[in-house]
Amino acid sequence: MRTMTSEPHEPSNVPADTERSSRRSFVFFGALAATALLPGRARAQRPTRARRPSEPVSTDEFPMVHPNESVAAFAEWGTSTSRLVRRATMGVTPAEIARATQLGYQGYLNYQLNHTRINDDAVEAVVAAKWPLMSQTSDLLFAADSGLLRSQLQESTIYRAAFSQRQLYQRMVEFWSDHFNQDYDKVGYLLVADLRDVIRANALGKFPTLLKASAHSASMMLYLDQQTSRNTAPNQNYAREIMELHTLGVDGGYTQNDVAELSRVLTGWTFTGKGQFVFNPAIHDTGNKTVLGVSVTGTAGAAGINEGEQMLDVLVNHPSTARFIATKMLKWLLDPNPTDAQVTTVASVYKATGGDIKSMIRVILNDSWLPAAPMKFKRPFHFTASSLRSANPTVTTMATINAQLANMGHPIFSWDTPDGFPDKVEYWAGNIVPRWNYANALANLNSATTLAVDTKPYLAGSPAAAVDMVDLNFFGGEMPAVTRTALLTYIGAGTFNDARVREMLGLAIGANAYQWY
Amino acid sequence: MDETHEDDCGCQEYNELSRRQFVGAAAGLSAAAIFPAWLPKVVMAKNFASTRDIIVSVFMRGGADGLSLCVPYGDANYYTSRSTIAIPRPGDAKGGVNLDGFFMFPQAMAGLMPAFTLKDLLVVHATGQLNVNRSHFDAQRFMEVGKPVDPNLVTGWLGRHLASIPPLKPDAPLRALGVAGGLQKTLVGAPKTLPIADPTNYTIGGAAATQAQRLGFMQSDYAVADEPLKSAALDATNTVNLLKTVNFAGYKTQNGAVYPSSSFGKALRSVAVLIKNDVGIEAAQVDVGGWDTHSAQDPIAGSMFRTMQDFSNSLAAFYADVIATGYNVTVVAVSEFGRNVRENGSAGTDHGRGTVMFSMGKGIAGGRVLTKNWPGLAKEQQEAGQDLKVTVDYKDILAEIVQNRLGNPNLGFVFPTWTPTMLGVTR
Repeated sequence: MRTMTSEPHEPSNVPADTERSSRRSFVFFGALAATALLPGRARAQRPTRARRPSEPVSTDEFPMVHPNESVAAFAEWGTSTSRLVRRATMGVTPAEIARATQLGYQGYLNYQLNHTRINDDAVEAVVAAKWPLMSQTSDLLFAADSGLLRSQLQESTIYRAAFSQRQLYQRMVEFWSDHFNQDYDKVGYLLVADLRDVIRANALGKFPTLLKASAHSASMMLYLDQQTSRNTAPNQNYAREIMELHTLGVDGGYTQNDVAELSRVLTGWTFTGKGQFVFNPAIHDTGNKTVLGVSVTGTAGAAGINEGEQMLDVLVNHPSTARFIATKMLKWLLDPNPTDAQVTTVASVYKATGGDIKSMIRVILNDSWLPAAPMKFKRPFHFTASSLRSANPTVTTMATINAQLANMGHPIFSWDTPDGFPDKVEYWAGNIVPRWNYANALANLNSATTLAVDTKPYLAGSPAAAVDMVDLNFFGGEMPAVTRTALLTYIGAGTFNDARVREMLGLAIGANAYQWY
Repeated sequence: MDETHEDDCGCQEYNELSRRQFVGAAAGLSAAAIFPAWLPKVVMAKNFASTRDIIVSVFMRGGADGLSLCVPYGDANYYTSRSTIAIPRPGDAKGGVNLDGFFMFPQAMAGLMPAFTLKDLLVVHATGQLNVNRSHFDAQRFMEVGKPVDPNLVTGWLGRHLASIPPLKPDAPLRALGVAGGLQKTLVGAPKTLPIADPTNYTIGGAAATQAQRLGFMQSDYAVADEPLKSAALDATNTVNLLKTVNFAGYKTQNGAVYPSSSFGKALRSVAVLIKNDVGIEAAQVDVGGWDTHSAQDPIAGSMFRTMQDFSNSLAAFYADVIATGYNVTVVAVSEFGRNVRENGSAGTDHGRGTVMFSMGKGIAGGRVLTKNWPGLAKEQQEAGQDLKVTVDYKDILAEIVQNRLGNPNLGFVFPTWTPTMLGVTR
């Protein structure tokens, strides 16, 4: 496994300077903080700085680190094809590794990108049977019990992520669900239609189509208060977030005045009844506006909606949108710290293809960038889906899993602010104990009424064979040596029985090596 | 008190503390001995140890409407700007509680009157961040980081405070916690600090007989992990062992304090238990939401009334239970921005600028609403014609507390590039 270069401790014979610094003592206390701050790659590459003790403290002395960690991949992650499986799926399985090996790198990427050609009927049949509310329209969902609907939404989403054959598609459904984040507590049943008709319908489609679908979603209108906005008192919430979070990015070049003007353009965009998007000319501001330097002619009557449609086109065609979406997709699929050149390349694909998501992914996951990319840390949702794929339990209900996911700090569709759950190791790393608890709980589930993990195959051979099976099922045959040794030691230190094997599985899922992809 | 030290300074207390801390750290952390070059020179206050306050930092997420939390009822423009959501003057059945003849608490905040009357609660008004930003995420980020518009600084002000001062209790495995599923930005960079969503239940599950063995597996497995995972896992395992020793369920509050059963109330109760058990906690970051009142705000009887009431009753319980009983604790509460002076068409308010912040403690010069010349609510007095001006940068308040109540003189490290103005908020 890779080792990090540790910086030499500053020599202890630093001469006392005029300011009588207590730096040496200070580093004792700061060591933990510092190790938590410096990305691996930054540590390795940063030249040794020999600041003379008499130099004054300047602002340059403060940590200038990347906002995301870069962690080199495990040495055991040998093949580029298996790295692609890790990135393009929610987690390796023996079947998926075999498929990728057979199809080759490019063939497997094409296979996952052509998601509609992958038959997913079996998973959809399970979803339809176990979570029937998911098949209903808003008219019926309106009357559904809110708590029941929330759990069906969450459980079916976890189930699909784990067991759908369309794995890359599921990765992008997760991505866009955060990009267009909405909080179930605020939007309720309307979210079901949004996730179906906006997110899942366009997750591997064209970004402009996706953005426009979102802008015509009752759920999004409600979430960002658009339905309260009117000519006499525009509400700026949606106008701001569509630029800041959905298209241009916060540094995309818009001003507060653009927010105010766009909010005027969008007055009248609302919904009626049980989630029917509608343009209401009666509350539309018919004055002229200027947004992002574009003149928008105020229009009365039903044609007033065209002002907003015009601005949506401006937003999806804006160069800042190409870069913002390219950057965010690169961070999601490739590297928490993409290079400027990578962003430029992917943004140019956005421009050339009219925001075609598949074309962008094809470039992001190319076979020279990906094998050189750092590892990424699995968010709890991803980690949960991975573990379900590897442990492959018989599923009766998902309620236990859903509750555990909330314990890990990732209750899906319940992030209240529109930026979505973070995708940063710094945010999630501290919450490790709930992960270990989940890992142990999953491995010990053997219930006909919830989930059952079958240990018989692991008990059929020797303890060493059981660890080999963990390697195949959980690590794609590339389990780091340190993990193998530790698991062998654990299984060897007790009686080789069902209880011990389950504990060993729990440790494998909770182990450091399983938290990365 | 701001005298600098070197290793062989004459300060016995300091030397002993640092040595013991180093031994403790080295024992558990031999692999973590990575000493960064970026650390600036810092000074250690002489009196850091015994009189230092514990800080409970509250973030009111969503942009709290300061004009409802502490109402300038003496400013007539408040009433003309808010035709449906203004809170009536004191004396009215729905009116607020007078504070000083100009400001009042709404009835929802009445729980905090004892702390205010005993001069332990300070309200700062027309405060916030001087740099203009009406995005929740940017404004929260910059407020938590403690330095505006710097995309590279990822540590939080409270994190840097803890990183630049020796531990209150040298061998404490947990110096600070964020009562949250993930560590809040305010605390990033703090040594021995974890997000703990529910401190009353922080254990590893499974069979008791193998618990220690499995915890040991994780300890050695994560000892070779990459940062920040390695440190996080080590702190976690040590903290599991620590919190096993704390009896949360049987905790009896003092002064008849009753914590609301809300998540904010529960979080403050857990923090109180940790403080009274003397486990070495120096800081806690607690979030309270519900402040993004774009529509149907109703601070008199509706949505914001309930949010404010939970906020004030939770803090009032903490005041009675912890602060009034003499524990050295300072509470601060901030929000990323206030809201427009004028209500919008949905009986709510959109993102604005100036708002209030609170500080509470025996070392806080409270019992007043601190303003730096009330900027006024007339149209021409507003920022950009829509908002209460920010006249006091929140960092001035925090910096004074960090220096005088938390005993940390390294203000240039905690609040980079900021030269604070001390306004006399501490005693």
